[in-house]
Amino acid sequence: MRKKALLTGLTVLLSLSLIACQSGESKKTDSKGGKATDEKQTLHVAALESAYGKDMWTKVAEAYQEANPKVKVELTVDKNLEEVISPNMKAGNYPDVVLLATGRKLALTETLIKDKALEDITDVFDKNVYGENVKVKDKLVPGFTDTLATNPYNDGKTYMAPMFYSPTGLFYNAALFKEKGWEVPKTWDEMWALGDQAKKEGISLFTYPTAGYFDAFFYSLLLEAGGPDFYNKAMRYEDGIWESPEATKVFNIVGKLAKYTAPTTVANANDKDFTKNQQLILDNKALFMPNGTWVVGEMKDAPRAKGFEWGMTALPAIDNGGDRYAFTFFEQMWIPSQAKNKDAAKDFLTFVYSDKAAEIFAESGAIQPIEGISSKLSGDNKLFYSIYDNGAKAGMGGFAATEAVEGVNMGDTLFRTVDSIVSGDKTVKQWQAAVEKASDQLRKALK
Amino acid sequence: MSLYKWGGFSNHKVFVGINNFKILWTDMNFIRSLQNSVLLIVAVTIITMTLAVLFASILTREKMKGNSFFRVIFYIPNILSIVVIAGIFSAVYDPTTGLLNNMLALFNLDHLQKMWLGDQKIAIYSIGGALVWQAIGYYMVMYMAGIASIPESFYEASALEGAGRIRQFFDITLPLIWNNIRTTLTFFIISTINLSFLLVQAMTGGGPDGATEVFLSYMYKQAYTNSSYGYGMAIGVVIFLFSFALSAIISRVTKRDILEY
Repeated sequence: MRKKALLTGLTVLLSLSLIACQSGESKKTDSKGGKATDEKQTLHVAALESAYGKDMWTKVAEAYQEANPKVKVELTVDKNLEEVISPNMKAGNYPDVVLLATGRKLALTETLIKDKALEDITDVFDKNVYGENVKVKDKLVPGFTDTLATNPYNDGKTYMAPMFYSPTGLFYNAALFKEKGWEVPKTWDEMWALGDQAKKEGISLFTYPTAGYFDAFFYSLLLEAGGPDFYNKAMRYEDGIWESPEATKVFNIVGKLAKYTAPTTVANANDKDFTKNQQLILDNKALFMPNGTWVVGEMKDAPRAKGFEWGMTALPAIDNGGDRYAFTFFEQMWIPSQAKNKDAAKDFLTFVYSDKAAEIFAESGAIQPIEGISSKLSGDNKLFYSIYDNGAKAGMGGFAATEAVEGVNMGDTLFRTVDSIVSGDKTVKQWQAAVEKASDQLRKALK
Repeated sequence: MSLYKWGGFSNHKVFVGINNFKILWTDMNFIRSLQNSVLLIVAVTIITMTLAVLFASILTREKMKGNSFFRVIFYIPNILSIVVIAGIFSAVYDPTTGLLNNMLALFNLDHLQKMWLGDQKIAIYSIGGALVWQAIGYYMVMYMAGIASIPESFYEASALEGAGRIRQFFDITLPLIWNNIRTTLTFFIISTINLSFLLVQAMTGGGPDGATEVFLSYMYKQAYTNSSYGYGMAIGVVIFLFSFALSAIISRVTKRDILEY
């Protein structure tokens, strides 16, 4: 009897909670409609929760509501932001401002670029920062809004605002170099020499987390081989560019590097096991890996060799005295063209560059391309962000936007093939030919 | 939707007729994912079925110690989530600290050590291995139910006439659970298609360089990562027709008169 009563009680409780969930949800969707209630405008901000955490967004939203009492900010911050906002977007409920970078697996941002579904925000940069007397463009570090990553159609119009940036390069254990008396190589020739030396001690020269990490690496190499003009041509799929002597040099360097790569790299080069490859650096089993500044946070709890000390260097130069590049990734913030409160969204976009907001972001380690921000940095970050003060040039921007071409994916062809090069399943020649072919197919689909 | 060129979000849909399907037949990556899927369906089905029938008949027919212990052990993988299985197997296949390579080293079989998930020729079989491991228990229980319902008198009678265990298995057990096997074959096709996608997503992401891509993971990649939702849907249509046809064919080929007892 008691059992029965308990069961009935539980059933009632469960159904009640189900009903409660339901009504909660419907309320939520109502407010997402972005209608003005009590004269207050609701601004729906969606942001990706990355390594920097969630708190900074809550704080920025609060700061904005304080500065602009007419607006109520509704936040959606999630690690899988695409999965949270895209069902609503399909139903016509678009967030007003979104922070979501390109290069994610679900490629929501790319899809919207390809569909021309982003709002032109060129005028935002001529506006004053909310609550300050400075124009946005005067605060930004020059160069960040001239790249294909902010102006995807290469027509002089900006569709995405540059947010948190992170220099990438080769990461290594600085303590190991000190201990062995090795110099960090400045050219690829020195790199090979070091590779042979390390081999004698049973250390591999190179490893990579997953082949996807070759993007920044490859872009930097292209810049070193041919300079910015050449790079931009390659990013716009110019005919024959991937078979030019400059590109051949780049392919050959990666081909040679494949021979110096730690043997277990490919087996672990997937989204599940990539930290095992990063661990090789911490364990002094490999010398260099291409990565970004986030790796420090990612591996902060991992065991490591005694005295381990992060070091980061730009890619070695191809010729003695040649340019060295360190590619810069930045996350982008954009307004969907179907957003309901575009003007309010633009105001908010200016606010994220205010001193107040930048300070909140920087506290969590998220660094925006604002003039003078590097003086506020500390610790490892200071070292990483000073890479450009030490003579390295910054590379920015990725491939130009195209229409979607079925079955053709430049990222896969150009980067993922590295796995096959390292394991010896494909030759550098085949790789190069495949990239040129993909480039031919994509050129026709250029916007 | 498979007849449109569409990114999945905007209202910008272009009708392209059967163009998506035309591209499909020339897309080598799709062909490769198809080959991988077919390989998995065939290999996993045959191995799992053989082992499951074998274990089922041993566990029901033979009186041995630890009978119920083995039942539990075999069934456990089935209650694990596929992500957990992916975790277990990437630990097993790990090139340096993995169970498999270290076992081989223990028996002085160092030359058999492999990069189980790194070698493009082996990676798909490694995935298959994990699929077999997780599926055996489920099918074993199904076959055990079938075997248990065969009247004991059949076995006694055949034993009196001098039939050995192997003879009994092929002439009594197998024909009488044939209907069970037929039903499970359809399950095999459906579950291999589904689970191979989940496992590939969780374990290798289709890598290295697309060597473990199965058609559902390729469809996902095209529909989302490559922003060609329409094309992804076309792949979906092909998968549906393929699995439907395959089930029909198998069901037709394995048709036998149902033995009543």
